[in-house]
Amino acid sequence: MKVKINNREYEFDKEMSILDAVKSAHIKIPTLCYSEKLEPFGSCRLCSVEVKGERTLKPACVTKITDGMEIFTHSEKVRKTRKTIMELIVASHGITCNLNCLTCSKSNSCEIKEIAGEIGITEIRVPPISNGLAEDKSSYSIVREPQKCIVCNRCVRKCAEVQSVNILTIANRGPNTYVTTFMDKGMGNVDCTNCGQCILECPTGALHEVYHTEQVWNVLSDKDKFVIVQTAPAVRVAIAEEFGAEPGRITTKQMVAGLRLLGFDKVFDTNFSADLTIMEEANEFIERFKDGGKLPLFTSCSPGWIKFIEHNYPEFIDNLSTCKSPQQMFGAIAKTYYANKIGVPREKMVVVSIMPCTAKKFERVRPEMKGDVDYVLTTRELAKMFKLAGIDLLNLPAEDYDIPLGISSGAAAIFGATGGVMEAALRTAYEAITGKELEKLDFESVRGIKGIKEATIAIDGIKVNVAVVNGLGNARKVLEMIKNGEKEYHFVEFMACPGGCIGGGGQPIPTNNEILLKRMEAIYEVDKSLPIRKSHENPAVKALYEEFLGEPLSEKSHELLHTTYVARS
Amino acid sequence: MEKIFLKTDLGKSLENYDFPGLKRTLNMTPQQVISKIKESGLRGRGGAGFPTGIKWETVYNIQDEEKFVICNADEGEPGTFKDRFLMENLSFKVLEGIIISAYATGSKYGYIYIRGEYVKSIKIMRNAIEKLYEKNILGKNILNSDFSFDLKLVRGAGAYVCGDETSLINSIEGERGKSRIKPPLPVFEGLFGKPTVVNNVETLAAAAEIMKYEDNIYSEMGTERSRGTKLISISGDVNKPGVYEVEFGELSVKEIINELAGGVKGSGLGFVIPGGISTEVLTEEEIDVPYTYENLQKIGSNVGSGGMIVVSKDRNYLEIAKNVSDFFRDETCGTCFPCREGNKNINKIVTDIYRRGYPTSKEIEIISDIKGAVSSAARCGFGESSLNLILSLFDKFYNKKVTV
Repeated sequence: MKVKINNREYEFDKEMSILDAVKSAHIKIPTLCYSEKLEPFGSCRLCSVEVKGERTLKPACVTKITDGMEIFTHSEKVRKTRKTIMELIVASHGITCNLNCLTCSKSNSCEIKEIAGEIGITEIRVPPISNGLAEDKSSYSIVREPQKCIVCNRCVRKCAEVQSVNILTIANRGPNTYVTTFMDKGMGNVDCTNCGQCILECPTGALHEVYHTEQVWNVLSDKDKFVIVQTAPAVRVAIAEEFGAEPGRITTKQMVAGLRLLGFDKVFDTNFSADLTIMEEANEFIERFKDGGKLPLFTSCSPGWIKFIEHNYPEFIDNLSTCKSPQQMFGAIAKTYYANKIGVPREKMVVVSIMPCTAKKFERVRPEMKGDVDYVLTTRELAKMFKLAGIDLLNLPAEDYDIPLGISSGAAAIFGATGGVMEAALRTAYEAITGKELEKLDFESVRGIKGIKEATIAIDGIKVNVAVVNGLGNARKVLEMIKNGEKEYHFVEFMACPGGCIGGGGQPIPTNNEILLKRMEAIYEVDKSLPIRKSHENPAVKALYEEFLGEPLSEKSHELLHTTYVARS
Repeated sequence: MEKIFLKTDLGKSLENYDFPGLKRTLNMTPQQVISKIKESGLRGRGGAGFPTGIKWETVYNIQDEEKFVICNADEGEPGTFKDRFLMENLSFKVLEGIIISAYATGSKYGYIYIRGEYVKSIKIMRNAIEKLYEKNILGKNILNSDFSFDLKLVRGAGAYVCGDETSLINSIEGERGKSRIKPPLPVFEGLFGKPTVVNNVETLAAAAEIMKYEDNIYSEMGTERSRGTKLISISGDVNKPGVYEVEFGELSVKEIINELAGGVKGSGLGFVIPGGISTEVLTEEEIDVPYTYENLQKIGSNVGSGGMIVVSKDRNYLEIAKNVSDFFRDETCGTCFPCREGNKNINKIVTDIYRRGYPTSKEIEIISDIKGAVSSAARCGFGESSLNLILSLFDKFYNKKVTV
């Protein structure tokens, strides 16, 4: 196909949108409602281009190229139209003195700001028109600020198309068109999984996490409190992006140093409790497998996934591992074993988590978790605290985690990427079943960004069918296949977010496929760089069992490390 | 003089109408029917004016077990009431046209989507459909032919935008009434993803009348690009408002107003909205124009839906502009930015102008820029045409009067 773009000839060998064609010619067309993960929608019209012979401008995202087409991406008519549309969008965004860019959650990642700059807006001739809608603060995880919403539909589509959760919708029409939840009940009162994918998708600050930063500042300055912090595996490979570093930069040790500068009494690692999770979960799997227990076993680390299954597939609740997530295992051990060890009363100890996840904020308040974790900060929130404290993260000296709850293996590190929990569990289960040392630690078949991965692993002649699933839309597909008897698995890892925790709703924005892959590479680099790469070889975990828990699945383990679920349908 | 073609059989009841167009159709092949409609030059009467025969032919040529015909009776354009006239007075001819379109396109199922506020039309059409089932003019083996066709009536829920064919299809499917991205056009992927013909009430009634005759007398009426007749619903400041049938090219807009509608009431003509509030206004100097698609387009307006509104000098034009703007602001589906935000912002400006009594040149400039963006980049025909009237009104009556 021969296509002329701005009077230059290009040749394309397959059908594609004008947007993709133009992109391959290294010309950028502004887009707002378009997102690489979603079906093109054609509502913002910013990508409109002139096509020779057409009466009106054509939206590049939904218009296919044809042979002989002549496209003008930045003609005078196009520029003028885009400018006017952008003026209208800015006006609809309702910026007022109390609601300005300085205080906005997206002050550093606002797409409107970026596009307005690219389009060259010099004045907004129409005054802002407020939609008069109130904030939705009903959720433990996510806040909606509809005043900033420009109704681009991306959150609605992400929730439906990628996550198949469908809790956001468009209501009313005309000037009263707005995004809302079923019957305006609020995100905390509907089947929201708290995954936060909508936050990543939102081009404005209309969606953000429920902030815990103020509370954390308060406890940090409270002399009576002993404040400890745990950091999730996926944070260390992403937080540097908030400071302008290339995606994939590993700043584990700088982050540890930064947390000490913030004033945390001890800096620990969720990776420690990830190892602990593997000890419990691998043994749970072996037990179920040998004793004819409920299979397939489903992993339970992802609180978004847990809430999804509780709402949508309560019939599968017994398939869930009873293991708490690493965040909650950490809290439970910190406030018992560790508190005892150092002689700090439980009431004085404050546990703060740094998570790539917004659903963890909900998980924390589940009654089953008994308040073991006090506050949850997202990667973005921690970056904000660092900045507020003037901490130059990228250039801090490397420091190590505190012991003992800061010691971890490579198996724990890979929890942050889809497939990681499965791989970590296999490393331990293999050796536990066979009693032999695993020669090749890397299970390549469960790695990578694909939504659904399958593998059959031979352990001592027994074939174990496993699957690894990320993104709730894929989870729904797999659950349906299991339900219909199309698939028979023994063990399935589920993560609510596309890519696993590295693509969590609390991660730096933007989070796109290219960035996900770089974070993922970094995760496996962390694994490779560690001297211990199997959970059961973690000396601190071994000591914990010897001194306190006894053995995996012991009574004490069950009391502290396992949980129950509720059907929410 | 009115040209009576569509209005033939007015006064007849369903009981004494014997469906001559349908009978002739059933004795022809679908291709022959399509040829006849193509030759007649009939164009869609909803406003867009697309050749009907080509639409039918496209769907006929697609091999699919399931195809649909839809009669678009969501007549919502302010000032337009010719479809209501047809449904209330010639229900049988409208239904006859629907069945003919189904036969020509090879569709076994059809819908008639009637504007929810048209309570009387809905009642009449519902009764008529029931009677046609009793008379074997709908249902299995219509009039003992091989052709079977089922028709269902759907009542609209009050959204103007559902008159847009893709929005209407969404509405029938139970989805939100908003336009779909084209392509695919409904003729390829329409209702439930199947090939679908959507035709206006008047178009279908005309098709039924065309099929009644051995000869193609329709093709001999009108001009080359505007064949046949058109129903015009005239309202506003005229002495005899109503629905009149006009042969294209025979009368000018001025003659239609003066000879058919009994002339302007009040102290003289202000302006004319020729085809519903999506069309540009015509001043007194402009109305001496032959009533055809091409002549109206030449002077920057349109036949539109045929809803002609006559406005006398005594009216407050700014109040009219505000009314029109209120309507479009409230009726946009709210999906695409230029249409939703453009109409919202223009409404604010027009309201200010109305309160003040005159526009500033800055306001005209902003309205003109927004109009440009909406017309060239909106997602559907609704948005594209939503600002035609307002801008033309300011352009023609206020451009010289504005204060700087």
